[in-house]
Amino acid sequence: MFKYIKKPIEKIDGLALVTGNEKYTDDFYFENMLHISILHSGYAHAKIEDIDDSTALRMPGVVDVLSYKNVKQILYTTAGQGYPEPSPYDTVLFGNVMRFVGDNVCAVAAETKEIADSALKKIKVKYKRLKPILHFEESENSKIIIHKDDGAFPKIPVYYDASKNLAAKVEAEVGNFEEAFQNSENKIEQTFFTQYASHCALEPHAAVSYIDTRGRLVIISTTQVPFHVRRIVSHIAEIPISKIRVIKPRIGGGFGGKQEVLLEPIVALVTWKTKRPAKLVYSRKEVFKSSRTRHEYRTIFKVGFQKDGKINAMHLDALENSGAYGSHALTVLSNAGSKTLPLLNKIENLKFTGKGVYTNLPCGGAYRGYGATEAYFGFGQVVDMVCEASGNDIIEYYKKWAIKSGETSPIFKALGEGKEGVAMTVTSTSLNECLEVGARESGWYEKKKLYGVNSTLNKNNRYKRGIGMADLMQGSAIPEIDMASAYIKMNDDGSFNLNVGATDLGTGSDTILAQIASEVLDTPVDKFIVTSSDTDFTPFDTGAYASSTTYLSGQAVLKCAKQIKEQILKVGAEMLGVSLDEVDILDSNVVVKPSSNNENKGEVSYQDICSYSFYQNNQFQIQAAVSHVSPKSPPPFAVHFVEIEVDTFTGIIKVLNYVATVDCGTPINTTLAEGQAEGAIVNGISYALFENYYFSNHGKMLNDTFGKYGMYTAADIPPIKVHLIDSYEETGPFGAKSISEININGALPAIANAFYNATGKRLYKAPFSPEYVLKILKSNP
Amino acid sequence: MKISFNINNQNRELELNPNQTLLTVLRNNGFTEVKCGCNEGECGACLVLLDDKAVNSCQVLAMSVQNKKIKTVKGIGTLHNPNLIQKIFAGTGADQCGFCSPGMIVASYSLLKENSSPSDSEILEGLDGNLCRCTGYIKIIEAVRRSSSVLLKNNVEAE
Amino acid sequence: MLSENLKWYFPSSLPQAVKLIQKPGIILHAGGTRILKTQSKNIIGLVDISNLKLNYIKSKTNSFHIGAAITFNELIKYSKENNCLKMLAAALSQAASTPLRNRITIGGSLKDFPLWSNLYAPLIALNAMMEIKGNKSGIYSVEEYVSEGMIKSKHIIKEIILPRKEEFAWKVMRFALLKFEYPLFNIAISLKLNGKMIDDSRLVITGVRNRFKRFKKAEKFLIGKNLSLNLLNEIEKFVEPKFVSDYKYSSSYKETIAKVYFKDLLSEIIKENL
Ligand SMILES: Cc1cc2nc3c(=O)[nH]c(=O)nc-3n(C[C@H](O)[C@H](O)[C@H](O)COP(=O)(O)OP(=O)(O)OC[C@H]3O[C@@H](n4cnc5c(N)ncnc54)[C@H](O)[C@@H]3O)c2cc1C
Ligand code: FES
Ligand code: FES
Repeated sequence: MFKYIKKPIEKIDGLALVTGNEKYTDDFYFENMLHISILHSGYAHAKIEDIDDSTALRMPGVVDVLSYKNVKQILYTTAGQGYPEPSPYDTVLFGNVMRFVGDNVCAVAAETKEIADSALKKIKVKYKRLKPILHFEESENSKIIIHKDDGAFPKIPVYYDASKNLAAKVEAEVGNFEEAFQNSENKIEQTFFTQYASHCALEPHAAVSYIDTRGRLVIISTTQVPFHVRRIVSHIAEIPISKIRVIKPRIGGGFGGKQEVLLEPIVALVTWKTKRPAKLVYSRKEVFKSSRTRHEYRTIFKVGFQKDGKINAMHLDALENSGAYGSHALTVLSNAGSKTLPLLNKIENLKFTGKGVYTNLPCGGAYRGYGATEAYFGFGQVVDMVCEASGNDIIEYYKKWAIKSGETSPIFKALGEGKEGVAMTVTSTSLNECLEVGARESGWYEKKKLYGVNSTLNKNNRYKRGIGMADLMQGSAIPEIDMASAYIKMNDDGSFNLNVGATDLGTGSDTILAQIASEVLDTPVDKFIVTSSDTDFTPFDTGAYASSTTYLSGQAVLKCAKQIKEQILKVGAEMLGVSLDEVDILDSNVVVKPSSNNENKGEVSYQDICSYSFYQNNQFQIQAAVSHVSPKSPPPFAVHFVEIEVDTFTGIIKVLNYVATVDCGTPINTTLAEGQAEGAIVNGISYALFENYYFSNHGKMLNDTFGKYGMYTAADIPPIKVHLIDSYEETGPFGAKSISEININGALPAIANAFYNATGKRLYKAPFSPEYVLKILKSNP
Repeated sequence: MKISFNINNQNRELELNPNQTLLTVLRNNGFTEVKCGCNEGECGACLVLLDDKAVNSCQVLAMSVQNKKIKTVKGIGTLHNPNLIQKIFAGTGADQCGFCSPGMIVASYSLLKENSSPSDSEILEGLDGNLCRCTGYIKIIEAVRRSSSVLLKNNVEAE
Repeated sequence: MLSENLKWYFPSSLPQAVKLIQKPGIILHAGGTRILKTQSKNIIGLVDISNLKLNYIKSKTNSFHIGAAITFNELIKYSKENNCLKMLAAALSQAASTPLRNRITIGGSLKDFPLWSNLYAPLIALNAMMEIKGNKSGIYSVEEYVSEGMIKSKHIIKEIILPRKEEFAWKVMRFALLKFEYPLFNIAISLKLNGKMIDDSRLVITGVRNRFKRFKKAEKFLIGKNLSLNLLNEIEKFVEPKFVSDYKYSSSYKETIAKVYFKDLLSEIIKENL
């Protein structure tokens, strides 16, 4: 059916990547370049009374020191989001109040990195230490105010109260939760906790800048959001947008961590001031401590249900630890509700309440999953608890109660991102098939019989086995907010330039966007020269986040390619001397349709067509530029099944097998789609079992290296199998939805449910470290 | 000071300080295909072959390996003349962001050069120093398996 | 950060090297992995050991002599090729990662003795000896090397010496959740068996308070006993490792699981030899 879609096409940058030929930000070196190092606060909360940089400035090779003393105090948010941002303006580049261990004190620009590093040690900072808030549950009622008199304000009209340390607050209700809950025969009330995590993109954050031949500022950066970088740098450095160009070269993974504008304003200021190139590359420790993280969460679920398992009322109350600044505080919070509650759309009384609080700990930010990961931990378990209590098979339960094609959820409208959401009807889902295939492939029913607390296999055995599952949904782009655009022009050999604002952060979007254009124009993928993410040469795109690239940027490319097709057909028809409705495209040619009764049965190649349009008659450039805004955010679905073994003597959980069935609409590139799912699943498992931030009593992160943080290597992964089960989304390119985020959300609830199956106990706190697991095993039920 | 090395089969004099790691020296001298993910020996992005053995170049002081034979990912194969393993990596989807790829290729190459038919557990052990956050390793392991079977089928060693 | 004015020396004889390291601030350089971790500014000179011809493994009538410059992977390879030194190789192959094992040396690891060392437990369990040159030249057991404070003196480790005979039952393990992670502790057990009777035993753990612990009471208890799973319950009271809490694990958790693993390993040995 398709020629270039749903194929395992090799990434267009693949060979260049594996031969080390591609360039990443830190690979750019310029003559006369300055190197920047940052001094970070060692205190969680302190006021800087003075900075003495005189000794440092006298060191040979030191060129400049930036601090609150010479950098204008302009409020902004580091969150790379659409404008005006839903995150509060509560950050300055270099301020005089330090709000977490890792906050920016000042920056040194020097001739070499070594000099810059040594100069940091020569800077004398006089701190007045302030009492910190190190536990997020204590924040709202604390006497300590983290953003006091600093002018922090919300950029859009939303609730914000710095005097209560509240960075965000969201409330939504449909029906009447309280009444329905009180009237329910059965009730569950349970609290869950999820922890901090680092994105661990292998490439650390970096930015390089220089002044071009005409005096403009060029920034090369590891960013997921080049256009937001341009806008935000312009705001902070007070340089007109017209004078800034932002280029995203290859980047070494993002996962949300590079949706933050952290380094770019610093290199920009140094270059703008000194007129010299400047480079800043974070060390791994800086990435852990000073960049952004996954928010820590507490979720409280209240569920009222009938004997037969029908849920009458559900309340999700979320408390989010925003850390020192409120980047993405509001939107991650909203997503905790909006990506979970619609899944069981037949619940009539739903309530979501959420608060994001400031603490003197590292800042949260965007992280693959974005609120859904945090909320599904509890959601997936309470559904399991309801099924256990009511004697329902959970597979059948989801089949009955989960949202279906043609259905909607009032939550879509009730919970937006800083404003009302967008009502929509789900029109594509293969969820039932996902449930069935997953159950079959994981051996769900056989294993359910075999395992369980009282099974012969588990009873009196030190090692206990269990199987668990979780049903998930996410979104694809932010409806009526995110915008993407594409530009295509034709070249005289029949090739095309495809220029997109979309940001390939390793996901392969350059490739799949070319595949989409290929399919429309029926010409091979290698005919497309893809240029992406250069604010001078590519049209606007909000960036790589919210699972938007394939669905949103892909649709922009599709629409654009269709316009090109029309132009090509027109020229072709003219060349063939037939009317427009008698021609079609076929294999890089315009041909007279076989059905046509015109005698002129010729064909003209794309090459000839472009040559004709350049040089012969009615000359013009075949080209088109198109924008796209999505009216909806169609959810992808996934079902995850996991089998585990618990060593009840040590508390170690071993994952034995993992099966995921995923409905991402049409997978444009099957290899890349599987790869997205596999990467997310492995990240999800290691988050569930190991990853965490451990802090000292003073709020300093202690495990700030890969070795101490703990990451899976190839040698640690369990067998994982991903099954892509298509549906067809009419509003997406060739039926595509999204796949990048959803699959990080399954491991937490699925493993916890498997643990329950094995031991009869529940895990309420992630990560499931062996010591915690052992404590739970020894506790009374 | 200038110190000589044999890099990718060429004798080169590189500018360095006596306290610098091989990684820093290589990158400062234009061998930016060697990546830095952690500088602590914990990610494998900086792997190079030192006398045919994979080492973390961030964990080697450059002065201690002067005159030695060093091979980076480009010494294994280039864009215009890729090694079989590189072609298979790209064809299998073993590269997403590609930042781990130079190190992964060095590790896989050195594994297959020693042992062209590694068992699964030998493959996993051979990759145990390389982190990848994007792929979940599944396609990387698959690429090494495929490389091994192509090498075997053609009865050749990793070249 | 290491000093930019760092001096490098490449002596070709042990006496030259011994002389060089007498000066304050001058230390030996083997794999360099520890030196890079500490990044001590106080180091002014590094004496590279690569020309000292310490990269050998010699097999003599009664013993193996392993030069200090041998890397973990070289030892593992030798073990595979010659079907010997299996306990040590098994322990070392769990250390760090493949590329790091190509750099980490026996000598550097002995002198360094990190908490996560995979080297010490098997060496102590094997009653390995070592030869050092310098202030206290001589041959010592690895155990006295660490316990007598000798480890701090200025010297060069030349080699370790292991008995050739491997007529004992053994087990090694490291506790870590991931393949490439700093282990919390390492355990090594060796039992010399005479039929079903235990003639000699060594039970060692590293990563504990005071770096390592031999459970001598347990060892004594085992000697003369016949292999039987009943021993497991009785041995428990003699195996009491003491740990320090860290940010991830409490000392009591570590103590609990270290005991579990001791029993596991012993029971495996017993089952295999019953
Ligand atoms: C990321 C990482 C993970 C690691 N994981 C593990 C692990 O899991 N298990 C494990 O066992 N090890 C592990 N190590 C290794 C360990 O931490 C030390 O780095 C290593 O043992 C040091 O060996 P080296 O040869 O590199 O010594 P060097 O760094 O060269 O030297 C270390 C010290 O020994 C001295 N020295 C060197 N050679 C001699 C000699 N012949 N005589 C006397 N003194 C000498 C040096 O002067 C120095 O003081 C890991 C290392 C890293 C970087
Ligand atoms: S950069 Fe060398 S191992 Fe990470
Ligand atoms: S492909 Fe991105 S880290 Fe491996």
